[in-house]
Amino acid sequence: MTRPPLLRLAASAVVAGLFAAPAWAQDAGRATLDGPLAAPPPVPTGGDLPVPADIPELHAADDDPIGRRFVEPPPVPEAPRGLGTVVEREQNAAFAGAPLTLDEALELAAANNPTLVQARAQVQGTLGLAVEAGLWPNPVFRYVGEQIGVDREGETDTPGEFQGATLTQEFVTADKRDLSRAKFLQRTRVAEWAAVSQQWRVCNDVRVHFYQALGAKETVAIREDLLKAAEDAVVTAREQWNLGQATRSDLHLANVALQEARLNLLMAENDYLEQFQTLAALIGLPLETGAVVGELDGESAEIDFEQVYREYLDEAPQVIMARQKLREDQITLKRELVEPIPNIFVEAGSGYNFEALETTGTASVRFDIPIFDRNQGNIRRAEADLVRQRREIQRTEMLLRRELATQYRRYLTARQHVEQFAEVILPEARAAYKNQLDAYAEDRQQWPDVLTVQSSYFDLRQRYIGHLVALRTSETLIRGYLLHDGLNVPDPLPPGHLDVTAQPR
Amino acid sequence: MSAAEARRSFLKAGTAAAAGAFAANAVRPAAAQENPRQDPTPAPGAPTDPPGGAQPRGENDVRADYDGFSRYQPSRGNDPDSKWYIGKEVPGFRRGEEGPAPFIAPDVEKLPYTMENGWKVFRLNCTPVRREFLPGYYIDVYGFNGSMPGPTIEATQGDKIRVIVKNDLPEPTSVHWHGLELSVQDDGASHLTQNMIEPGKEYVYELHPHEEGTFFYHSHVAMQETFGMVGWFIIHPRKPFDPPVDRDFGLIFQNFRIDPMTTVVDSWGMDFNWHTINGRSGPYTTPLVCRHGERVRIRIMDFSPIQHHPIHLHGHTFWVTGHEGARVPKTAWIPRNTELIAVAQASTLELIANNPGDWALHCHMTHHMMNHMVQHVGPRLRGQADTERYTANLETRPAVDLNSKALGEVPPGYPQMMQGMKMDPRAMEKVWNRREMKGMRATAPKTIHGLFTALRVLPDDLYRLVMESDEPVEKGAVFAEIVRRFGDYGRYQWAPMMNMNGGMNGGE
Ligand SMILES: [Cu+2]
Repeated sequence: MTRPPLLRLAASAVVAGLFAAPAWAQDAGRATLDGPLAAPPPVPTGGDLPVPADIPELHAADDDPIGRRFVEPPPVPEAPRGLGTVVEREQNAAFAGAPLTLDEALELAAANNPTLVQARAQVQGTLGLAVEAGLWPNPVFRYVGEQIGVDREGETDTPGEFQGATLTQEFVTADKRDLSRAKFLQRTRVAEWAAVSQQWRVCNDVRVHFYQALGAKETVAIREDLLKAAEDAVVTAREQWNLGQATRSDLHLANVALQEARLNLLMAENDYLEQFQTLAALIGLPLETGAVVGELDGESAEIDFEQVYREYLDEAPQVIMARQKLREDQITLKRELVEPIPNIFVEAGSGYNFEALETTGTASVRFDIPIFDRNQGNIRRAEADLVRQRREIQRTEMLLRRELATQYRRYLTARQHVEQFAEVILPEARAAYKNQLDAYAEDRQQWPDVLTVQSSYFDLRQRYIGHLVALRTSETLIRGYLLHDGLNVPDPLPPGHLDVTAQPR
Repeated sequence: MSAAEARRSFLKAGTAAAAGAFAANAVRPAAAQENPRQDPTPAPGAPTDPPGGAQPRGENDVRADYDGFSRYQPSRGNDPDSKWYIGKEVPGFRRGEEGPAPFIAPDVEKLPYTMENGWKVFRLNCTPVRREFLPGYYIDVYGFNGSMPGPTIEATQGDKIRVIVKNDLPEPTSVHWHGLELSVQDDGASHLTQNMIEPGKEYVYELHPHEEGTFFYHSHVAMQETFGMVGWFIIHPRKPFDPPVDRDFGLIFQNFRIDPMTTVVDSWGMDFNWHTINGRSGPYTTPLVCRHGERVRIRIMDFSPIQHHPIHLHGHTFWVTGHEGARVPKTAWIPRNTELIAVAQASTLELIANNPGDWALHCHMTHHMMNHMVQHVGPRLRGQADTERYTANLETRPAVDLNSKALGEVPPGYPQMMQGMKMDPRAMEKVWNRREMKGMRATAPKTIHGLFTALRVLPDDLYRLVMESDEPVEKGAVFAEIVRRFGDYGRYQWAPMMNMNGGMNGGE
C-alpha cells in the first residue's frame, strides 16, 4: 500500500512547483518537497501597471472612439459606375433593343450568315470542275510547211514540198470524260454535304448562344434579387447596429457584400452583352443589344447514347460526306484505270504540194503506246486514296463516337442536375425559404437568418440556370450532330492526291 | 350613481350568478371526482363570511386586524417582532382541524390512487406527451400519464405508498423521488441504485414518507428531465401546518429550447426560448384566483434545465415558509417580494391576500417574460411585419429602401419592443375562455408572456362572479370594479378593447 502516499507526494510536488515557478524560474530543480512554498510574485501596484496613456496604439483610435460612444454606422458605399441606370429602371438598359426570339434568330442567320453563302459557292465551284472535266478536248489547228527549199526538176528552191494546214482532234477513249464528269459531280455532292454541315454549324451555334444569352438574361434577374438581398442585409445590419446587435465589423462586411453583389450584377450584365453580341455575330448582322425572348425550361425527350450513335452512322453529314467522298475516290480509281487506254489523235489537213504542183491532203492517226507509263503510279495513288478514304469513314465514325461520349457526359450531368434541381433541390430550398418567412411572420425567426436562406435559394436558382443552359447546349449539339463554330470558314473538301492535276480529270 | 349604489347593482347580478353557480359548482368538479379518492382532502367549504362581527374565540382566531395588520388592506402591522407582522401568522378562514387546504396546480391533474391492504397505490406511466404550450402550439415533450408536467401525487405524512411505474417511452428510464429520505433501492437513481426500466417494463417503488412538505418526482435521465419529465409530490403533514391557509397553489416553472417552426424540444440546446408554468406559457397560464383576505400559499418549483428564476409577486409581501427540503421554522421565515429559486429547488410563499386586484406573478429575468426571443430587425421594424409581400412570389423579392433608416434620428437602442408570437382570434378565445381570466383587462395577455401568470385577489362577490357563475363578464369589468371600490376610479382608463396592434389581439 505504497501508492496513496506516493500520489500525495506527487500532488504536493506539483502544487509546490506551481507556486514556485515564477520565483525559481532559473532554478526549477530546487523545487523539492522539503523546500518552503515560494511566495506568489508581488502584485504590481498601480504605479507599476501600464496605463493606457503609455500605449500609443490605444491613442490611435481617439479620433474615432468606436466602442466608447455611439457613432453613426459607416456610410453605404457608392454604387459602381453603370449600376445606377440598372437599379433605377424597371427595364434593364442592357435589354433596350428590339426583342429577339429563337425562330427569328434562326431565320435571320439563314439569310445572313456569310459562311452559308461561302458553302454554297463552294458547291458551285465544284460543279464547275465537273463541267470542265466533261468537256471535249479542243481540236488543234496546225499550219504545216514541209520541205521548204526542196528542188524541183528544173527549178530549185521551191517554197516547199507542202504548204497547208491540219486539224487535229483528240478522241477520248474509254469514257474518260464521262468518268471525270461523274467524279467531279460526285465531289459536288461532297461539297453539298459540306454545306449541309455548315448549316448545322450555324443553326446549332445560334441555338446554343441563344440559350446562353437567355441564361445570362435570367442570371441578371437573379443577380438583381441578390442585390436586393444584399441591400436588405446592409439595412438590417444598420438596424442591428442601432440596437447593439451588430458590431462595426459586421457593418463593414455588409458593405463589402453589397459591393460584391453590385459587381456581380454588373458582371452578369456584361456577360449578357457578350452573349447577345456573339449571337448577333453568328446571325451575321450588327444588332443592337435587345432582350432575347424564350424559355430555357421545358420538356425534352431523353437521349439514348447508342440510338443517337446509330442515327449518326446513317444521317450525320460528316459520315455521309465521307461516304460520298469514298464514292468519288472509287470513280477516281476507275478513271485512272482507263487512263492508260490511249486517246486517239486524228489529224487531217490539206495543202499545196509545190513539188507536184497540186493540192494534196494529209492525215495521221496517233496514240500513245502504254509500254512504260501505264499510269500505274496514279493508279496506285488512287488505290491508296481509296484505302485512306475507307479508313476516313471509320475515323469519322470513331471521332463522332468520342465527341459524342464527351458531349453525352455533359448532357447526362446537366440533365441529372436539371431534373434534381427542378424536382428536389429548388422545391426544398423554396420550402426552406418559405418556412423562414412563415417563422418570421410568427415572430419565431430573425430576419438575418431569413436573408441567409433567401440568398441561398436565389443562388441555387442561378446554378439551376447554369445547368439548364448546359443541358440545352448539349441537347442541341447532340441532336445537331455535334456541329458547331458557325463562323469558321466552311470545311475545305477532303483532299485527294490527284487534286494537284491542273486539268481536272 | 354613487359608488355604493353601483356596488349594489353589481352585486345583484353577482347574486343571481351565485344561485346558478351553486348548481354549476356541483357539476363542474365532477370530472375531477370520478375517482372519489383522487383528492385526499375535502373540497373547500363555502366562503367564510368576513368576520367583522364575530367575537374572536382565541388569539389565533380569524379576525380582520392583528396588531395593526389588516387582512383587508395593505398594511404591515406595528411591530416587526410581532407574530402578526406582515400577516406572518395571520390565519386563513379555513379551520386548522378541517385539514390542509386542497392543493391546486392549475392545468395539471391529480394522480388518482387505489387502496390495497393499507397501501396507496399509484400508477405512473412514462410517456411521450404533446402539450399545448400556447393555443395552437403543440410541443412534443416527455412526461407522465400523457401530461407534462406529470400528474400531482398527493399523500399524507406516514402513508404507505406504492408507485407502479410503467415505461411507455422508447428508451430506458427510472423515476427519482426528489427529497425523500427513503430506502436506497427505491431512490430511482438510474444505474446507481437500480437497473433502468426498459421500454414496456414496470418497476414498483415503495415509499414510506415520514416527511411532509413540497417534493417532486422526475425521470433520472438528464435529457428526459430536460424534456420535461417532472411532477409534484405533495406530502401533507399529519398535523396541519399552522396557521391554516385557504389556498394551496403549486406552480412548476420550466424552460425549453424550441427552434423556429418546430414542435420538438431540443433537449441538447442551451439557449432556452420557451418558458412554461405548469406546462403552459403566458398568456395561456392560468391565473391563481383567491378571495380578498384569504391566507394563500404558493409553492413554486424550478425544473428548468439550467436556469434559476427570481420570482416576483406584485402588490404583496410574502413570507418564505418552506423549501423543498422541509417547512422552515417560523423564526427563520423571511419576508420578501422576490424569491430566487434555483434549479431543482422549490419555495413555499405564504401571504394574506389583503390587496385586491390582478397582480403579476412572474420570473423577473426579462428574457423569461417572452415566449420566443427574436431580434426585431427586418421588415417588422420597418412597419412591414406581414411577410405576404415576400410569400406572394417566392421567385423574386421586394426591394428595400437603402435610405430607409435615418438612424441618426432615433436614439441608439430604439425600438425596444419585443414581438409576441402571433395568435389568431380563435387562439385568443382559448386564452379568454377560461373562468380564471374573466373580467381581466382586455390587454392583460399583452404582458402575460413566458414565465408569467397573475394572482387575482377578488372581493367575495367578484370571486363568485368569476369562479362560480356563468354570467358573461365584459373584459376589464372586474378589474374596473376593483379600481372603483379600492382605487381612484376618476383616474382609471379602460384598456382598449380591440385592435391591439396585431399580435396579441383581444379575441372574440
Ligand atoms: Cu426565469
